[in-house]
Amino acid sequence: MRILQYLINGISIGSVYAIIALGYTMVYGIAKMLNFAHGDVIMVGAYISFCVTSYLGLPAWAGVLAAVAVCTVLGVVIEGLAYKPLRGTPSLAVLITAIGVSYFLQNAAQLIWSSSPKNFSSIVTMKPISMAGGKLVITGEVLLTVAACILVMVGLTLFTGKTRTGKAMRAVSEDRDAAQLMGINVNRTISLTFAIGSALAAIAGVLLCSTVPTLQPTTGSMPGIRAFTAAVFGGIGSIPGAMLGGILLGIIETFSKAYLSTQFSDAIVFSVLIIILLVKPAGLLGRQMQEKV
Amino acid sequence: MLKIEDMHVYYGAIHAIKGVSFEVGEGEIVALIGANGAGKSTILKTVSGLMHPRSGSIQFCGEDISHMDAYKLLRHGLAHVPEGRRIFLQMTVQENLEMGAYIKKEVSQQDLEKVFTLFPRLKERRKQIAGTLSGGEQQMLAMSRALMSHPKLMMLDEPSMGLAPILVDQIFDIIKELHKDGTTILLVEQNARKALQIADRAYVLETGNITLSGTGAELASSDAVRKAYLGG
Repeated sequence: MRILQYLINGISIGSVYAIIALGYTMVYGIAKMLNFAHGDVIMVGAYISFCVTSYLGLPAWAGVLAAVAVCTVLGVVIEGLAYKPLRGTPSLAVLITAIGVSYFLQNAAQLIWSSSPKNFSSIVTMKPISMAGGKLVITGEVLLTVAACILVMVGLTLFTGKTRTGKAMRAVSEDRDAAQLMGINVNRTISLTFAIGSALAAIAGVLLCSTVPTLQPTTGSMPGIRAFTAAVFGGIGSIPGAMLGGILLGIIETFSKAYLSTQFSDAIVFSVLIIILLVKPAGLLGRQMQEKV
Repeated sequence: MLKIEDMHVYYGAIHAIKGVSFEVGEGEIVALIGANGAGKSTILKTVSGLMHPRSGSIQFCGEDISHMDAYKLLRHGLAHVPEGRRIFLQMTVQENLEMGAYIKKEVSQQDLEKVFTLFPRLKERRKQIAGTLSGGEQQMLAMSRALMSHPKLMMLDEPSMGLAPILVDQIFDIIKELHKDGTTILLVEQNARKALQIADRAYVLETGNITLSGTGAELASSDAVRKAYLGG
């Protein structure tokens, strides 16, 4: 029974990683850059939701909506101000800029909300479901997180597979020049990708802080790095890969915390990643990159 | 329809196109021939807005397009089938055609049927991932994709590259057919013999300069062209 409990907890935290990883992987697929500021957008989302519910006293759904709205705009603004001017420059320049944006967001949050942790109250009011005489507990947060993850996955799959805009996104991801020759506005597609990724980050932020209620300016950085790992693990650029990678990472993390060592859980998680990448360099569901001639 | 005057294009410090001027009139097939590295593809990329000229002008249907973004040009009726086909290999044949009709918002069944009559092979394979098609089929898909938007001018970059002779003939037949339907064609080819056969007019490009021009027949019989491009 205990194993089952760990598994459920692992899937739950893994679902949060998966939602974050989707943002990483979509931006990588379309803009061909690693947006290391993505984790900090999560933190901003959580703060916005916190302010709306705790300071303004509005209901939880309003907090989530506000977080999504602010982060969507934030994502588009970051892309437009920081990354767009660097299009066509070496990828290292963009990477360093992304790290800069990450620190900028953390420091801005420190100025606005101070570095002392806030106590984030969960957006879920449902009572935990207790089974097997209290040995197996499923909280409302777990249910909500997993449901959100499934919804996001289905939504994105339908969007990229069925809609005109979604297909155009895949076209840009595959061949930017050819997509332009089809009349697709690449800049607008990249902005849209950042908007979607950042909206997902906001949702992930609220879900994360509902499970782990301490909110501070660095809240997003470690989950961000883990989610990036999850995206690479599953095969960066692949939407189902990000999902699978996130959930597996959550499960591995929870089990290593439970059975091996809490302190070394990150080390264990990253060791697993290294082993997987040695065996399958493109990640679990990633395509082997072919050099174009 | 397309008028290029004294166009200069650079790759960084490299002066790739050194003051090229030429014209494509409505309803013509015009060929640009020349050896590898002469700058043929660069000219097409510059016309379609993937690159921009440092000086000179490009006019399409009376409008200066020399600094227009590539994605806007298809809406003006200028389609470019790039070198190496550049179809979306991970998407299905049908999806590739849908992308060709991206500016139309909706894919019309009529357009699909028209393309499938020209290329029946694509109809059989419409659900197939484009990366699994043979080279000839990929070229057909690349041309069909460009046709979906009903361009006024279609620029074809090396449509015969890497294809078996029988497929080359087929592709050239289709170019003639498109032309008959009223599409103006600008054709870049290394296969000079084939290109000159179907071209109304042609230009010979050498290291960034146009060195000869004339009707297809004139150039095909010119000594200089025969020695350099038609094997004597």
